[in-house]
Amino acid sequence: MSPQETPSPRRKGWLGAFAIHAVLLLGVAFALYPVLWVASLAFSGSATPEPRVIPWPSEPTLRHLQEVVGATADDGGETVWIFGRQLLNSLVVATATALVGVLIAIPTAYALARFNFLGKRTGMGVLLATQMFPAVASAIPLYLILEASGLLNTRTGLVLCYASTAVPFAIFQLRAAFEAIPVDLEEAAMVDGATRLGAFVRVVLPIARPAIAVTSLFAFMSAYNEFILAATLLDDSKMFTLPVMLQRFVGEYDARWEAFAAGALVVSLPVMGLFYVAQRHLVEGLASGGVKG
Amino acid sequence: MVDIRLRAVTKRFGDTVVLDGVDAAFPDRSFVVLVGKSGCGKSTLLRCIAGLEEVSEGAIEFGGRDVSRLAPRDRDVAMVFQSYALYPHMTVRRNLAFGLELRKERREVIDARVAEVAKLLEIDALLDRHPRALSGGQRQRVAMGRAIVRRPAVFMFDEPLSNLDPALRNQVRVDIRRLHDDLGATSIYVTHDQVEAMTLADVLVVLDRGVVQQIAPPIDVYRRPANRFVAGFVGSPAMNFLEGRIAQNSERAAVELGDGARIEIPPGAGFERLQRGAQVIVGIRPHDVVRGPEGSLVLPVELVETLGSHVHVHGRIGDMPFVAAFEGHQGPRKGERLQLTVGELHLFDAELGVSLG
Amino acid sequence: MSNLARWVLRLAPLLWALWLPSRAHAGAASERIRLWHAWRGEEEAVLTELLTSWDGTPVEVLAVPYDALSSKLGSAIPFGEGPDVFVDSHERLGEYQRRELVAPVGDAFEPGVFVAEAEAAVTIDGQTLAVPLSLKSLALYVNDDLVQRVPADLEGIAALQGALPAGVVALAYEANNAYAHAALLHACGGRMLAPDDGFGLVGPEAEASLEVVLSLLASGAVPSEADGALVTNLFRSGKAAFAMSGPWLAADLPTSLRYHVETLPVLARTGTRLQPLLTVESAMLSPNGADKPEVRRFARWLASATAARRRAERARGVTARNDVPSDDPIVRAFLEQAGLAVPMSTSTAMRATWEPANKALRKILRGDAPVAEALAEAEHRFALVMRAPPAPRSPTLLLLALGGFALMGAVLLGQRARTAGFRDQVRRSIPAWLWLVHAVVAVGALVVLPLVVGAATSLFAGPPGDVHYVGSANFVDILTARGGPLFASGSFWLTLVITVVWTVVNVALHVGLGLVFGLLLARPVLRMRAMYRVLLIIPWAVPNYVTALAWKGMFHRQFGAVTGATMALGDWLGIAIEPISWFSRFSTAFTANVATNAWLGFPFMMVVTVAALGSVPKDVLEAAEVDGASRRQRFLYVTLPMIGPSLIPAIMLGAIWTFNMFNVVFLVSGGDPDGTTDILVSEAYRWAFTRDAQYGYAAAYAVLIFVLLSGITRGLDRIGARAKAKAAV
Repeated sequence: MSPQETPSPRRKGWLGAFAIHAVLLLGVAFALYPVLWVASLAFSGSATPEPRVIPWPSEPTLRHLQEVVGATADDGGETVWIFGRQLLNSLVVATATALVGVLIAIPTAYALARFNFLGKRTGMGVLLATQMFPAVASAIPLYLILEASGLLNTRTGLVLCYASTAVPFAIFQLRAAFEAIPVDLEEAAMVDGATRLGAFVRVVLPIARPAIAVTSLFAFMSAYNEFILAATLLDDSKMFTLPVMLQRFVGEYDARWEAFAAGALVVSLPVMGLFYVAQRHLVEGLASGGVKG
Repeated sequence: MVDIRLRAVTKRFGDTVVLDGVDAAFPDRSFVVLVGKSGCGKSTLLRCIAGLEEVSEGAIEFGGRDVSRLAPRDRDVAMVFQSYALYPHMTVRRNLAFGLELRKERREVIDARVAEVAKLLEIDALLDRHPRALSGGQRQRVAMGRAIVRRPAVFMFDEPLSNLDPALRNQVRVDIRRLHDDLGATSIYVTHDQVEAMTLADVLVVLDRGVVQQIAPPIDVYRRPANRFVAGFVGSPAMNFLEGRIAQNSERAAVELGDGARIEIPPGAGFERLQRGAQVIVGIRPHDVVRGPEGSLVLPVELVETLGSHVHVHGRIGDMPFVAAFEGHQGPRKGERLQLTVGELHLFDAELGVSLG
Repeated sequence: MSNLARWVLRLAPLLWALWLPSRAHAGAASERIRLWHAWRGEEEAVLTELLTSWDGTPVEVLAVPYDALSSKLGSAIPFGEGPDVFVDSHERLGEYQRRELVAPVGDAFEPGVFVAEAEAAVTIDGQTLAVPLSLKSLALYVNDDLVQRVPADLEGIAALQGALPAGVVALAYEANNAYAHAALLHACGGRMLAPDDGFGLVGPEAEASLEVVLSLLASGAVPSEADGALVTNLFRSGKAAFAMSGPWLAADLPTSLRYHVETLPVLARTGTRLQPLLTVESAMLSPNGADKPEVRRFARWLASATAARRRAERARGVTARNDVPSDDPIVRAFLEQAGLAVPMSTSTAMRATWEPANKALRKILRGDAPVAEALAEAEHRFALVMRAPPAPRSPTLLLLALGGFALMGAVLLGQRARTAGFRDQVRRSIPAWLWLVHAVVAVGALVVLPLVVGAATSLFAGPPGDVHYVGSANFVDILTARGGPLFASGSFWLTLVITVVWTVVNVALHVGLGLVFGLLLARPVLRMRAMYRVLLIIPWAVPNYVTALAWKGMFHRQFGAVTGATMALGDWLGIAIEPISWFSRFSTAFTANVATNAWLGFPFMMVVTVAALGSVPKDVLEAAEVDGASRRQRFLYVTLPMIGPSLIPAIMLGAIWTFNMFNVVFLVSGGDPDGTTDILVSEAYRWAFTRDAQYGYAAAYAVLIFVLLSGITRGLDRIGARAKAKAAV
């Protein structure tokens, strides 16, 4: 597919390149448009029900952004910056989910990649099955379990729920990543004087870092974006995560689209930032990761 | 610095027996080569000695100490892997230092030893590179350095040369033997390449299907192979085998081949006890035949290979393929019928394959 | 080791942050009064302000999204969690009473101070179950700049249409919303709920009311497909002469707009007034809260005259008290309207009428079905939801079967345990088990256990709090479409077909787009590769509910970008293109869903493709080139078969995700039109949360989804294995 392999004259190569960039730009437009549309809505001052095609705010304003970001609430007499609290909640919950989820998944994935043991096949089957059962039916039992263990209405409980749900996918991802690492390396480390655990920590983990990073990113995202469980399990607006806050803007009777858009923009930024940082590893992480057989 | 004893070492994976009662004793500072076809269990035996596999039965002793249940790190061994197994996330320096760090050596000691080994192997210029930035040969040297730097009691080599190109392979082979002599440890080396096996070994262990066929110095294995398998495996080109029957020819014993040709057995070769009429396999090394008009074997020439110093002549005797090797570069032409006189020959039991010598 | 220590130190603040506030909260909860509400904007602000003057036990307030309030109450209160006091509409009292989420309010209710309608609304079987706070109903907003003289009847208002400037509608209201339509139904002599708790929007009165709406729509006097936000926007921007809306609209109107509010007009053809539904927003007490005198005092204070006055002043709250006169003309108008309104029934059947009624309305107003037929269908749907739960069955058979299985398992295990190999296997498995015991506990307790319990729910039925074992009745009901035609709208089989089509179309688009862009990005020579990659990955990084809502907005008939684009295209071509009403036809609604989901999912496949292409050895491609394969042939016969095996697991995963892609379907089309774009998961969700909490039925759907997906993945797995075997040759 290098340029010199086509014996055709240069003009054709130029045309081909043009076509390729045209297709890519079309894709970029498709990918970007909704985001820009939301952004333009967020900065729009006028709320006339006009169809807008060009994603540019009419009567630009920061009003909605200020309203959403500057939201405060009363907490026993003192005013708290509720948006800040909820942003922190979201970040803490998502980070903790990624950490806990991946920490749970790593040793398990390693055992599945390297050992043969009783129950391996059954375990893998159960893990796969958890991905297919819709959450609708298990939300209420989950509520009961958290209630029984006193974790209801705590962020710890939320983190445990998210982490456990993130674990099966993380295990698939990491197992494949570990399988892609030659066993020789661990054996070399063990001959060099490491224990099995030592070889794992000092050799396998550093090599699997891209896959671990990508897996963590997925776990982070799943927690950061979730709102149904969060709205069900939390009873304190100071503990709400951002998506629950956002949900309130588009109620049944008066949808505040501009405020929603402003909130959506703010909520999306951290994940987009993380994606930007991680995108280089994404290909690598997936190449060695679970979605490859 | 230790002698190694294997006592009835047996290894099973499920129902498959990979090693079947291997007994051996390797003296201190010897260079032991485990050789055999792929799947013969030689790598498994090496891994058992290193501790990477647990033996199912039997015992492995280092210097009289039973190490069979010890983890690799407690056996004081070092290993060079076929894939080199360099840690991709560490520089060459850290690759070399890793084992010493794990053993909590003092920093100065580590630095000194790494520098020393790097110099010895001429990789001091590469110390701050990562393995992916090295050539195959360089990686191989780093892998060796990583083993040497720890000064272990036993060196293990698992086909360390198979990923190198042939020219480099000969060079490194010599280096390995020289290092072994300098370092004074016991070495165990696995290969399927018989040139490596012959040139490197003090003791050669030939394995087939998990069973030891012969343990002896290489020249003994070459000269007096214990059975037909060893005979066919060692030596290049491989030994020719012809089917025959013991016959009495006046005062001397001889072997009568299927097509009526007779090969006289030289006296004093230890074949006197053979019964007349016994079915045997005659083994003749390609180099052990001489052209001459009085030769008892006739080889119709089908193909001639010219190697420069030698020519190999391929043909058939009876329905068995036969190769003869002659010095010089002037070979016979295709279609010629060569008359050959046999020098040294080997006799094996037709059924059991054991040497009748 | 030092590395590990550093990590632990870094993590410590995070763990602290997680642990500390939850502790503080647990300690404080008992000494506070907990109040839940779904108020927003001004109403919420008034509450906050009011609470500063409350002198009793501190109050902890939680604002809950309106849609989530009732399900949150239902999951919290039975376990002694949740609020002491909550504010909700009175019509939910019947259900709350049945589920024991509320208790009689006792001395929180001040006798004699509330208007009669309000007092009646919160009283069930002689028990006062809530303290009325404010009255909500629709009334008529009049734009005084556009209207000089208010016509006497609805027909007169509609007749104004011709006289109004272009782009202005006579009357903005949510014509396809049953709540708003009720006002017309009442004027025609009908009721939303028949006296015997039967479906009300059926029969000659209902048909007459719909004929009125149809004629209003036909004359263009009423905007089609208006939702609450559009009504607000039209009236706020002076593009509607009249609006039929509630007090919440006033909060959104600028002071510059000249308008007033009066009672709804008369319907000339029957001579009766339009009577809106009346909702009494009330403070309710959970059983826990009702026990505490302080909580009752708080509820009484919430409904006090002072508080009512403040609500009236600040948020135009129409008080339910008769002793708080207001001088605000808008509040007075709403109060007057409340007297002419029909209080909503507290019967549990009320809640089940909305979904079928709304569906029927939309269907009729779109002209998709004759009035009588659509209404009859709605009545049938209502009956399906309201049907008596299946008869209890004896669980003996199940228990016997379970016991049998357990016994069989134990015997088999015992037999295996006796073999020597087994003990050896166990011994060798122990080190591996140590690596994953924590994961087994975590996943077992928080994923598998809820899942098993959830699945078991499918064998039960009955209202929450009164469930009984029914065996396979739920499954039989679903699979036989409850005796109706198997492929009727909303039936399992039709939904399944739609779900499968949905999955296939989406996955095909994901793979197609992913392959195209993945192949382009993987070209050895490409300028600005990094930029393209970053930009093309963006849809993956956006939270998918944001995506869904954004796309719903873009497909909006009035102000969506897609509409704008088609209209701009029409202008450019010089032809008039009618704005497409995306969610009124299956084909367009489905397209909108698919567009959203395709946008959402293609970057994943693209990245997977790039990753897979990295593993195709170059020499094979070169060999094909030497063999004379064209670029197209190289792709078809070499590249594709070689990346296939790595794509199949990703496709499988994508198929599972799409099959269960609740967010997109629920948020974009919401099942419109008429539930035809619903997929199995959203259908299950509706049974659990919007149709009388039939959890058992929803769970049966979930189990069926699970069974289907297991089958599909097994099939795909086999294809994958075959492809892999082929590629390995």
